[in-house]
Amino acid sequence: LFLGSPGQKHEFFVDMTCEGCSNAVTRVLHRLGGVQFDIDLPNKKVCIDSEHNVDTLLETLKKTGKNTSYLGEKSAQ
Amino acid sequence: AKSIVISVEGMTCNSCVQTIEQHVGKMNGIHNIEVSLEDKNAVVIYDSKLQTPATLQEAIYDMGFDATLAD
Ligand SMILES: [Cu+2]
Ligand SMILES: [Cu+2]
Repeated sequence: LFLGSPGQKHEFFVDMTCEGCSNAVTRVLHRLGGVQFDIDLPNKKVCIDSEHNVDTLLETLKKTGKNTSYLGEKSAQ
Repeated sequence: AKSIVISVEGMTCNSCVQTIEQHVGKMNGIHNIEVSLEDKNAVVIYDSKLQTPATLQEAIYDMGFDATLAD
């Protein structure tokens, strides 16, 4: 079980190419709920602060049908 | 095989189109799917023993698009 440390955000790579992609990511994350996130479209990164574990977040992002992977924890600024 | 038209909102380019075509195309019982950016819809030809209009609509909705069944 991986819970992550408090004050850390999870960073994911999501192969987004346009605004349609980032909107799709926004929708699936909103539907999951319990997440705060930033999407960096040019760098194809999604940074998530959430009560959900990494597996749940990864599964949710993969629903978009885009290539997705977990990059690691990122310190909150 | 049956055919259905599903309205899809939220696509902005051809890669959106391809993502949906590839994802839904991989599902069981899909004979053909054609997504149109201009018409904002997906025309799916499917095996009604394996899929229903609702499962197809849900599959596109789950990907993060607004999908509705046209009547
Ligand atoms: Cu896109
Ligand atoms: Cu697009």
